[in-house]
Amino acid sequence: MTTLEPTDIKAAVRRFIGSAINLDGVSDDANLFAAGIVNSLFAVQLTTFVESTYGIEIGPDDLDLENFKSIAATAAFVARKAGARPA
Amino acid sequence: MEAVLTPAQRERRAQARAFAARTLRPAAADWDRQQRIPDDLLRELGRQGFFGATLPEAAGGGGWDAVSFGLLHEAIGREDSAVAGFLTIQAMVAAALNKWGSPAQKERWLPGLARGETLASFALTEPGAGSDLPGLRTALAPDGAGGFRLRGEKKWISGAQHSHLFLVFAQSDGGPAACLVPRGAPGFRIEPIRELMGFRAAGLGRLSFEDVPVAAADLVGRPGFGFSHVAPVGLHWGRLSTACSAAGLLRGCAEESGAHAARRDIGGHPAADLGMVQTLIARQAADAEAAQWLCWSACAAEDRRDPEAYLRAFVAKYFASRAAVRAAADAVQVHGAAGVHESAPVSRYYRAAKIMEIIEGTTQVHESVIARAFVRRESASAAG
Repeated sequence: MTTLEPTDIKAAVRRFIGSAINLDGVSDDANLFAAGIVNSLFAVQLTTFVESTYGIEIGPDDLDLENFKSIAATAAFVARKAGARPA
Repeated sequence: MEAVLTPAQRERRAQARAFAARTLRPAAADWDRQQRIPDDLLRELGRQGFFGATLPEAAGGGGWDAVSFGLLHEAIGREDSAVAGFLTIQAMVAAALNKWGSPAQKERWLPGLARGETLASFALTEPGAGSDLPGLRTALAPDGAGGFRLRGEKKWISGAQHSHLFLVFAQSDGGPAACLVPRGAPGFRIEPIRELMGFRAAGLGRLSFEDVPVAAADLVGRPGFGFSHVAPVGLHWGRLSTACSAAGLLRGCAEESGAHAARRDIGGHPAADLGMVQTLIARQAADAEAAQWLCWSACAAEDRRDPEAYLRAFVAKYFASRAAVRAAADAVQVHGAAGVHESAPVSRYYRAAKIMEIIEGTTQVHESVIARAFVRRESASAAG
């Protein structure tokens, strides 16, 4: 079941990324793009994942690297967008 | 395949195949020879609702699912890859705009794109770079008055001879950007590219931008996200379309080969009785079937909004385009001398199939993406 608790969102985002990419040694705050961990294919896959899992629509105004640069940043963005309680 | 399609999807497929057989089959060779699709035909595709099939109904589209989109592109690709190419590029621009366009951009452009009254091209490839996105040189620079100036060149742009609107990708101070440039903008020139090996009627062109003014309101998405988010959405729909079009070409090869082998008499027996001919036809038929399923799998994943859809589209396009090249060669072989004359559809298929290995990412780019994705996944699985 999908929950909107920030810690659950963070765990779900980590699980999703971890299903495709080895996240051993990658912290929740690590910059995924700067480290080359995420490529453009995965960037759009991640967009689709959070949209379909949390029922949110990511639009042009959300295109800010701060929203997606790390697992923690992505989870915080989803929590804000979905109206979850702040962490 | 029948078992997984809904009644609505079967109906759309039947209508698309009937339209393609009635309208495209008799004329495709002429259009290929003339290197041009008639404007009337493009208008008819719009009237049929084919250009905006998957756009939301609120935007004037048909609201179709992706599986129906795939069936349509397969049906058109069976008869004429160049016509399918127009549907491909329209879908690429429309999808990118529908996802990342501003409300004002959507309101202005989507209804016309859906009706086919506005034709659009996806302007990414340049004379010196195609699949290598960081190598693109076209530049979008601030004009000092809140807008931008676009400078550079694009090449091999499908539909450019006809298009009214171009989604152009460029480097900017803020990173890779995407912007809309209408035909006729000051400093924007379009030169036709002719004498292609295949897709001869697809209206390709070379674009040059000499300080073309671009308003800030014409940027699609924010600068910095042109290659990572805007282009991938368009290219994803381009891959789905090209995969399905290649699957249609594969079916065409198998059907034309089967029909010819049944008619052709060799020593009092149909050619189809010869084992060596059966081998050629069996390869085509099996690959056609496999491509249909891979296309369905990718489109169905898209309908579920499954992130896996992106990779499945890569796999479907990779398989279908390579198999199309093999099948077209085998189809010409089955036809013998008759297959090398322009009167045989398979001769056109042979020339078109190779193009499919190059557009929307070369075979080699697909291999790199698919292999890296599978290796990363296995590494993640082992770590988890």
